[in-house]
Amino acid sequence: MPTPDDERFEVYLKQFRPLVPDPLPTIGHGHRARHTFVLWACIAAVVAILGIGGLTLQIRFNRARVAERVGNVGNSERFRDDQPLTIRSANALLAKAPSFKAMVDDMTFRSQTIPLPKGKRSAIAVLGKEKIKL
Amino acid sequence: MHRTDGNTTEVEFLYRQHGPALLLFAQAVTGERNRAQDAVHQVFLKLIEKGSLSRVVDKKAYLFVSVRNAALNEGKIQDRNKPLDPDSAWFSPTNRDYAAEQNLRRALSALPSDQRQVIVLHIWGELTFSQISDLLGLSSNTVASRYRYALAKLRDSMFAKENSYANS
Repeated sequence: MPTPDDERFEVYLKQFRPLVPDPLPTIGHGHRARHTFVLWACIAAVVAILGIGGLTLQIRFNRARVAERVGNVGNSERFRDDQPLTIRSANALLAKAPSFKAMVDDMTFRSQTIPLPKGKRSAIAVLGKEKIKL
Repeated sequence: MHRTDGNTTEVEFLYRQHGPALLLFAQAVTGERNRAQDAVHQVFLKLIEKGSLSRVVDKKAYLFVSVRNAALNEGKIQDRNKPLDPDSAWFSPTNRDYAAEQNLRRALSALPSDQRQVIVLHIWGELTFSQISDLLGLSSNTVASRYRYALAKLRDSMFAKENSYANS
């Protein structure tokens, strides 16, 4: 059982207040600011990665289109539909074709949607009207 | 990472509320202010990082247990037989009575470690004997007995000191 003396002595001891500890190093504005900075840095990194990826895909797509166009240009002498057929180009096609029939077949199955300029005629139309000995 | 602002706010509140008593208790265990400070900081930083305080029922007792474990783990690494630091203050002296603060500190230092811990936990930690018995893994009767012995020794030591000062 505590005696009155003990109780008085306890009251006396409680007058002494323990020292306040130093503030915690990570509690406060600095910690939150650093946390926010890390968060924004992560977001910026993700956006940068997505941007670089998209740019890379765009460049590859453009290169593929350019290569396709270059390939088409290489075959233009045989398959270009945007220019009317002339005697010169017909001779060139005939020189490359295995036979005259094959050349004519090739020409026949081409698109003929492009109108000829005024005053010019299709070589096929001209050849079709002439009697040629084969 | 499970840290939330609500948890951090609660930990800050607990640090302000119980920090002084926890630091004093850690000093009673380690005998050194720097090691005691490290132990208290270690406990609260873990609480902020893990955010596991919401499941604790008796938060005050949990904090004292955690600080004691941290202080003892720190003591295992360093020299446990190191005597208490006589120069670092433990209390804010009332009415700038630095002699009384030093007298109390010397009397506490003279107590055996187990009795000193019981005194600090009951007087300044304001824990009940039941809470202290759970914390130290002792029976309530043992805790009460240690407290009575410690209080008597403390009073004799302090008053003998004051009497010796008065007689000199």
